[in-house]
Parts: sequence; structure tokens; C-alpha cells
Amino acid sequence: MSDIEDMLSVPEPNVDPERALARLRARVEAERITPVTRAATPPRRAAVSGWLKGLSAAATVALVATVLTVSGLAETILTIFEPKQIVAVPITTTDLSGAPSFDTYGTLTWTEQPRPYDVPDVRTAARESGMTVLIPANLPAGVGAPRYGVMPKTTATFTFSADKTRQAAAAQKRTPPPMPANIDGSKLFITGGPAVVAFYDDGTRPTGVTGATGASPFTGMPKLVVAQGKPPVVQSDGVTVEQLQSYLLAQPGISPQLAAQIRAIKDPSSTLPVPIPMDMATSKKVTVQGVEGIFVGDSTGLGSAVIWQKDGIVYGVAGTLTEEQVLAVANSLH
Amino acid sequence: MEAAERLRLGTVPGPGMPPAFEELFRKEYARVVAIAHRVVADSDEAEDVAQDVFVSFYRKHPADAHYAAPWLYAAAAHIALNVLRSRERRGKRDAVEALRRDAQAPDPAQAAETAETRSEVRAALARLPDRSAALLALRYSGLSYEEIAAALGLRQSSIGTLLRRAEDAFRKEVAK
Repeated sequence: MSDIEDMLSVPEPNVDPERALARLRARVEAERITPVTRAATPPRRAAVSGWLKGLSAAATVALVATVLTVSGLAETILTIFEPKQIVAVPITTTDLSGAPSFDTYGTLTWTEQPRPYDVPDVRTAARESGMTVLIPANLPAGVGAPRYGVMPKTTATFTFSADKTRQAAAAQKRTPPPMPANIDGSKLFITGGPAVVAFYDDGTRPTGVTGATGASPFTGMPKLVVAQGKPPVVQSDGVTVEQLQSYLLAQPGISPQLAAQIRAIKDPSSTLPVPIPMDMATSKKVTVQGVEGIFVGDSTGLGSAVIWQKDGIVYGVAGTLTEEQVLAVANSLH
Repeated sequence: MEAAERLRLGTVPGPGMPPAFEELFRKEYARVVAIAHRVVADSDEAEDVAQDVFVSFYRKHPADAHYAAPWLYAAAAHIALNVLRSRERRGKRDAVEALRRDAQAPDPAQAAETAETRSEVRAALARLPDRSAALLALRYSGLSYEEIAAALGLRQSSIGTLLRRAEDAFRKEVAK
């Protein structure tokens, strides 16, 4: 027996899986915990649109950003202007699986494809993105040197199609409200980024801006991720936010609770909602860098993220760290 | 086990729990507890950690996911380390007391000494960086290099080196 094996030795635990399963079942029922369903999982990955995918390759930020995109609804309505503030919108798994995807309503054409790439250092990241890249003054113990990635500015055009909406609804045996004539054929011009992402690790993990896949929840989740980017801006060739909101929130699959929350946003033309899946994460308002931001905690307590917008840039700090550590890093950015 | 006995124990499948999840639970529960136990050195606390691990998985992942086992092992190590650190923050007396009930020894004085030793070793483990502590927990719970690599998202070829470094760091912490 090695010295360490000896030091860490413990008596064999006497476990009874059947009794433990009964205990788990009682807890699941008492707390009304629902299992994830197949239907909810694949769209979350498949519908991630490119520039967000690159930006959020590895962190809890991904959770937020991915959900934002997957709902289609959120992206369509909420980015149709220039967001200047962010707000948390609690959503449920049902909201996620029930919301129609973006391509239900028309066709998205990329004019500048989202192609993230690694850069050697912060100076290059700043030069290629055209932004001042903030770096943390203090890092928690166990956090190594950063790797930088840049997501160039990306643009796309979305064209609404009443025909496509009808076909998608028919395929799902649903009857959506008719698309108003002024929406059919209208276009949205979407701009995202540029963005810079710094992955802090000790360099042994195969993570980078192009993302990593693996078996573990911790794969592709470096200790710390610091991201910053220009928020998405969407211009319309005629349709207003109010018209789109009214049409999209009346779609089947949008829960009345979700619709009410989105309608309650006071200034939708300048507010970027960050959907928070209630069964997976918790959120609260925090002050970061002197402005209001959102803290998002993974319900397992293993991951934390804080997101805020300041001087026209959206920032995110996330990692397998505590709330205090993530906020300390965020406040030390300079 | 007979159906009637399972009914008595409340282990008949519940209406909402997928059979695949129950199968996964039965297959991996003992190993998840063993990993947590190696970290917290208290069997009751290890079973509490295992409950949290499976609830967390249940909420977020389909039971037949190909990554289920490595996910569970990694989560067991990380959640157990969080428990250990919060115990350490409460102070040495609490930490020793928590371990006393698991310290099997013929007489109380020996049990107290075993608990004290285990507590000092766990305090050293709690001071290590997350990944090093998780590596030690998984390796000394009997996981192979391949299983550790899958669980922690590391390259299998790096495990040997990282493990040696973690062991050296651990020895230094214990000696402090």
C-alpha cells in the first residue's frame, strides 16, 4: 500500500442501493424534481447560432447564451435594436422545449459567417477585435495562464416567411396565428460581435475558442472564462418590435407566464433579456464594475457566472468558482 | 428482491422516474459513494453527497447519456470536496467530531486518534487545488487513468504526470 493510499484509506462503506434509491425517489417527489427529457436536450445544442456558439464555447455563459438563442423567440424579439441593459427572465424546461425554433419563421442567411479563432495573446486579441480587452487584476488560486480567442463581427439577414411558418406548424399539427402581412417577407439585419474570450486553465485541457467536447460536465468548462463583446444589434426593414412581440408571443408553445414576463420588460428596445432556466440555475441582481449585473449560479453549486453591460460592451465572467471568486474577478477587470 | 419486499422498502419504480435512471443508479451508486467517502471520510456524509450527485444528474441529463458514469464520478469528487471545505471552515473540532463516528477502533482513545489523523489528512486534501484533489480522490477510489481522463476532461497521457504532481503537493500539505 502506498503512503497516500494509506493516508486516504477509509473503511468500506456499507451501502444499500435499494434503500438509497427509495430515499432519492422520496426527495424527487417531495421537491417535484423533473428529469430532463430527450426533447429538451438536442435542440438546445442544435439551435445554437454560430456567433453565440463561439462566444460561449466553454462556460456557464454558454448556458445563458444558448438558451437565449434556442428560444428563437428571444433572439427574434430581443435583439431587434441595441440593448443597453440586461434583465434576467426565469424560464422553465417546458418553455425551452415548447418554444418554436428560429427557423420556423423564415430563413437565416449568413453574410459574414461566425468563425472564431485562437490568438496568441491579449495584444493580438485587442488588435483583431478592435476593442480594449480587460484583464483581471486578481485571479483565484489554481487558475493558470489564459488562452485567447476572437470572434470577428458577424452579420446575417433573416427573412420572415408566412409559407414556412404554415409548413412548420402543419408538420407539428399545430395551428399558429396567421402571420401579419407586413411581417411576411420583411427582413431583419443582425450584427453580432466582435467578441473576445479568455480561457483560464493550466493549459492541459483541450479547450479553446473552437470549443471542446467530452464526456464530463467539466470538460470544456475551464476554471475561468472571461468574455466581452459588442451586444447583438438587429435592424428591421419595417417591422417594429411591438408588432413582432405581439405576433411571436401569441405562438403555440409560449407559456402565458413567459409571455407576461417578456411583456413586462419596460423598455424592450434597449433591454437584453438573459433567460435563466429555473430548474438548472438561480439568478440575482448584483453590482459589478459600478453597474447592475446578473449573477447566475448553477444549481449544483459548481459553477457561477456574472454578466453585465457597460459602455456598450457586454461582459461575462464564469467558471467552476464560487460567487465571491467570480465577483472578485469581475470587479478586478481593468 | 421480491416485488412485495421492494414495495415495503418503497423501491418499486415511481411513476416519474425513468427505468433507465434507476438502472444507472443501481449500477453506479456504490462507486459514487466510494469516491465521496474517500474525500469526506464519513459514510453518512458520503451518501448525502451521492444523493446530491444523482439529483443533479437527474435534473440535467438523460439517464442513457454515454457520459453518465464519468459525469457522476467527477461530480462526486467535486461535491464531496465542497462539503469537505465547508466542514474545514467550521473548525478543527467540528471536523474531528464529524469523523469520530466512522473511526472504527476497539477503544474510544484509539477511535479519537484515528479521527484526528483522518481529519488532518482531509484538511490537507481540502487545501489542494480542485483538480489535484479530485485526481487523488478518483485514483484512490480505484478509477483507471482512462476513467479519470474521461471524468475530469483531461488527456489520458497527462494523468500520470498530473497525478504525481498532485501526490507530491498532497504530501507537502500533510507535512505542514
